[in-house]
Amino acid sequence: MNAIRLQIPAHADYIDLVRICLFGIASKMNYAYEDMEDMKVAVSEACNNAVIHGSYDADGNVIDISFEPVNSGLTIKVKNNGTSTLVEEAIEKAAPLPEVEVSGLKVGGLGIYLMQALMDEVEVNTSDSGTEVVLTKYLNVAAGH
Amino acid sequence: MKAEQFQVVQEETLDQFILHVSGELDLSVVPQLRTALEPVMNRTDKALILNLKQLKYIDSTGIGIIVSVLKLRDELKAPFFVREIPAAVKRLFDLTGISRYLTEGTEAQA
Repeated sequence: MNAIRLQIPAHADYIDLVRICLFGIASKMNYAYEDMEDMKVAVSEACNNAVIHGSYDADGNVIDISFEPVNSGLTIKVKNNGTSTLVEEAIEKAAPLPEVEVSGLKVGGLGIYLMQALMDEVEVNTSDSGTEVVLTKYLNVAAGH
Repeated sequence: MKAEQFQVVQEETLDQFILHVSGELDLSVVPQLRTALEPVMNRTDKALILNLKQLKYIDSTGIGIIVSVLKLRDELKAPFFVREIPAAVKRLFDLTGISRYLTEGTEAQA
């Protein structure tokens, strides 16, 4: 296993550090700039969900992020101890904004759609200990340098 | 990669409130953006403009705020423009479908 692990407090103030860490790892793997931007948004969305839906009662609530280079590219796992039902349901409903009048637009719900649109694989694993979002972005070797 | 601090600078002209948004707009700065929007988003006497030229990052939380401003300004029948959208931000606007609701309104800039 050559995973790189990062643990942050489950608070919005620390999500930029996840992006900085991801940027370093993806740069080293020679990802194209646009792919790195895609991953930054997708991983932030997973962390946003972990912050918003994480369990509030637990003291020392944290998010564990694991960056794992794999054959196809980079897999990023975002795990927290929050409840999962919200995420599972949201994954099935994820969609961009509908073509309706402005007044009919709903605020929110775009995060999971963005994860799906920006990554090659999105998986949600749930267990008693929490929710894990697994994101994979393929590394196109030919496009590298 | 340099994490640039999020900042909102307000500019007021005769007929416009222009909010220049810079840095990274993520979940952590949502309260800051809301505070900046609060005094101007209900003003129907002037157009509201978000200038995103210096915006380095946005995700669904920022896009959600823009959707809520769109809805409010639509309800008030007051003008709202989003200007100078960087390419990376525009890509996310296109993906989420918010682009079709946004007006650049550059002709009103002069």
